[in-house]
Order: sequence, then structure tokens, then C-alpha cells
Amino acid sequence: MDPANDAIEQARRAGFDMDLLETNLALTPEERWRQHDTALEFVLELQQARMARDAKLQPTPPAAR
Amino acid sequence: MQSFSQLLQRLADAGLDFVIVGGYAAVAYGSSIVTRDLDICAVLTPENVKTLRRTLADAHPRHRLTHKRLSFLRHPGAGQPLQNLYLETDIGVIDVLSSILGVGDFDRLRSQAETLEVGGREFRVISIDDLIKAKEALGRERDLLAAKELRAIAAKRAQREPGTGSRA
Repeated sequence: MDPANDAIEQARRAGFDMDLLETNLALTPEERWRQHDTALEFVLELQQARMARDAKLQPTPPAAR
Repeated sequence: MQSFSQLLQRLADAGLDFVIVGGYAAVAYGSSIVTRDLDICAVLTPENVKTLRRTLADAHPRHRLTHKRLSFLRHPGAGQPLQNLYLETDIGVIDVLSSILGVGDFDRLRSQAETLEVGGREFRVISIDDLIKAKEALGRERDLLAAKELRAIAAKRAQREPGTGSRA
């Protein structure tokens, strides 16, 4: 296998979605960054929601009851 | 609100000479991996530190690796040499590195960097070859995985536009 196809095959085997990669490559760098920032914002919102839920689930200390 | 694009625009508008490295550089090339920090390479001269402080002042930059989250606006004091900065701000986490493991210092990185136009501004981004070297030099599982994706991206770029990929 030539080096280029070998690199693609190795990435595929590592679990990367080549269709998604093709979609990303069709975008401009600006669009890629914008898409990334939106995804990061969503990840951070999910993280905050999980932390808020976990805080609610903490038992109230006896002294505070 | 986290916005690496906004951070980059501010730094570019302030005239800071820097190269985008790390995960956000990988995203510029098409990586699908979400990164939580913006890494840039710049020489941390007193003048550049002053520029960074002025540019980030209203975003409350703090040293994120210090226990008390010391303010970057006051620490370190004047005259103290700096190698790297690891900051969190109200608009995102930003690391400023003076050299990149496996690649070299700012001048070396800048000489091979690609220039991308985004939002009417030009940004220097570490070359994909150097980015692969940097990820592989770090050697952590996640960086090696990222390097695999970058090698595939470089291969696809070379197939689409010969001369733009790496030696992958």
C-alpha cells in the first residue's frame, strides 16, 4: 500500500470517520473553526448541566437541615 | 462564552506576532477533535507580555495552573523571564508557548507556517508536517491518535492538491 493510502487506512482503523473528515475538508478553515467553537460551547454547557445536577444530588449535611 | 476565534482576532488586531499550534491548528486543517484550549507560539518578550495583558485585560486572564488562579495582569512582576503562559480567560483557555517540543522555537515554526485568511485577517498556522511532529513528540495516547488523523488529512490534501500535504 502506498504511504498516503496507508495513512488513511491507519486513521480509519484508529476509529476516525473518513466521511466526516471529507466533510471537514470541504469546509474553509473559518467554517471549521466556527463549527468547532459551536461544538465546544455545547460540550461545556453539557458539562455545566452535569455539574449542576451532581450538586443537587449531594445529600444535605445534617447541620444544615 | 468561549470563543477561540474571538481570542485570535483580538491578538491579531493587537499586532502580536504568533503562530497557532496545537488542537486548534489541527481543526484548521480539518481535524474532528474538539479542543478545550487555544495554543499559540510566541516570543514572550516584555513587549509581547505587555501586549497580551492589554489585549486580554477585560477577559480577566488568570494563571490556570496556580492554586489561587493568580491574575496575569499582576503576575509575574516586571523583569521576570517567562517561558510559557497557561491562562484561562472569560472567553477561553489560552496557552502561550515559546517553543514546541519536537519542532523548535518560534522562528523555526514561523518559517514553515501556513498563512490562512479568516474573517478578513491573516493568521499563521503551524505547518501540518510540524504539527504531526509535535503531536508525535508529545507521545501521549491522545496526541498519537491526533497525529494519525493529521496524517490522513495530509494524505487527502496531497491527493486533492499535490504539494500541500505532508510526507505521509
